Amino acid sequence: MNRQQQGTTLFTALLALVGVGVVVQLWLLSASVDAIFRHDAATPLHAAIGSAVLFLVNGALLLYLFAFDERVRRR
Amino acid sequence: MADEEKCKQCHGCKKPARWREDFPVQWEKDEYVTRREMVKFLSLGSLLIAGANLIAAAVPRFQSRGEFPRVRIASSHQIAADGSLLFRYPTDEDPCLLVRNRKGELVGYSQVCTHLSCAIVHRPEENTLFCPCHHGYFSVEEGRPTAGPPTRSLPRIKLEQTGDDIFAVGIGI
Repeated sequence: MNRQQQGTTLFTALLALVGVGVVVQLWLLSASVDAIFRHDAATPLHAAIGSAVLFLVNGALLLYLFAFDERVRRR
Repeated sequence: MADEEKCKQCHGCKKPARWREDFPVQWEKDEYVTRREMVKFLSLGSLLIAGANLIAAAVPRFQSRGEFPRVRIASSHQIAADGSLLFRYPTDEDPCLLVRNRKGELVGYSQVCTHLSCAIVHRPEENTLFCPCHHGYFSVEEGRPTAGPPTRSLPRIKLEQTGDDIFAVGIGI
């Protein structure tokens, strides 16, 4: 497998990971709204923590993407 | 396609049409979204959703608590065993149901079904609270859904009894 093919696989996997993270975040958001309507204060807090962690993971993947591009440009 | 439009002044030459030189936008390429752009877009979406989740977590902390009025709703003798009474609490737009269960205890619930907000009714012969819209059933003792589409319990009205008078004092889960 050459470098370009590796890059293609890598970015497809990265896109899939970020996409799954966003879907899980949407699920957490809907669970939070549902909890608010039944006057449950604990669930939205836990969902917010989970969502923040997922955002950090997505952000880290995005930073990795920028760093990867920068490395390729320098070569 | 527009990209293939050729110069009309000199038939046969492979130059692009004159107007294309002034507007050198390649529409097909312009509409193509790369994986990098998609990852960036999803990351921005991720940030927005995380923000919305934080707002959702903050909402219950700003909601008013313990500010429910103390309202007299009935006299104890008005409700026979297995009987029920309609009342409104905390506002006139919040229908509720006061039920005396088979143990003789008085329990109050919101009359709004947690499925699609239809009005529930007391069925003493089955000892249940029933939603006629989609055949949802709730237990009289705890307000838990026992059958049908509802998945959440009915909000419970906190009651206090002073002598013969029954007061609604708050709403619990």
